Amino acid sequence: MEPQLSWYLALSAVLFTIGVTGVIIKRNVIAMFMCIELMLNAVNLTFVAFSSFFNDVTGQLFVFIVMTVAAAEAAVGLGIIIAIFRNRETLDVDEASILKL
Amino acid sequence: MLALLFLLFAGMAIGCALAVVAQRNPLYSAISLIGVFISLACLYVTLAAPFIAAVQVIVYAGAIMVLVVFVIMLLNVEEEAHQRQRLKFLLPVAIGLAGILIAEVAFILVTVQGTPATSGGLTHLDETNVGLTQSIGSALFTQYLLPFEITSILLLMAIVGAMTLARRGMLSPNARVVPGAQVLPLSMVDPTVGHEDTRAIETDSTDEAARLLGVAELRDQSKRE
Repeated sequence: MEPQLSWYLALSAVLFTIGVTGVIIKRNVIAMFMCIELMLNAVNLTFVAFSSFFNDVTGQLFVFIVMTVAAAEAAVGLGIIIAIFRNRETLDVDEASILKL
Repeated sequence: MLALLFLLFAGMAIGCALAVVAQRNPLYSAISLIGVFISLACLYVTLAAPFIAAVQVIVYAGAIMVLVVFVIMLLNVEEEAHQRQRLKFLLPVAIGLAGILIAEVAFILVTVQGTPATSGGLTHLDETNVGLTQSIGSALFTQYLLPFEITSILLLMAIVGAMTLARRGMLSPNARVVPGAQVLPLSMVDPTVGHEDTRAIETDSTDEAARLLGVAELRDQSKRE
């Protein structure tokens, strides 16, 4: 039995939901960051599955660009995390409730 | 056979994703996330996308996670404390929202599967070159050249932004000199001196710079204050 397109979409939905749940319940800003990466990967799986089943290369190009954006996001996001930690001495997002560094 | 592989790697991905959320130590979360990335790369291989699978391992599991682990170790984060109670209601809310999301997706999938496919082309073709590096490269540099260039500008902005955010502010009373010979004016070593002396020296450390400029005593006083 061959895997169907819907199997991949269901797996992607489950991974995305786990990522959303993590962003909501986590308090450590680095852990929230990793949950966002998880959501990006779930969407990438959807793109690759559609690209493979429709025989169209566009989806994989989208994945390529999403990965680049994720790398840029990682660099800037971790820079922000370091700046917050240097000013607040904590990584708890509840502590960073005042919009001033 | 392919279905078996799908079930194996899907189980690995879901298990590791649950571990990412369940772990309290961020380092364990990061390692579980690497597991998710690896199993997704294996799924990409079963989807006949070897280039994306390789990039997934190299860029995600390699570069990005090394950056994350590096920051975790740099900041020396301890495990999440148990004493916070303020946001406890978020856990049932999150689980409820997740259940709703899963139910919606399941409903859509069931509904779509009931209707006949319009194109009829939704099957794996064994003889395809869609996922190969050559087809991705030719499409990337011809049809999708503009997004590619915009992405390069985005990366440049990310480099500049990360450096700006992570660097220490200059000219503060406890200004520090980064190791490595550099030329710096007197006012940067000791702001109390003022700006009239613009003599620049070459040095390896803040203390050496203060000694060379003859403001070591002044600097010690300002440190004690």
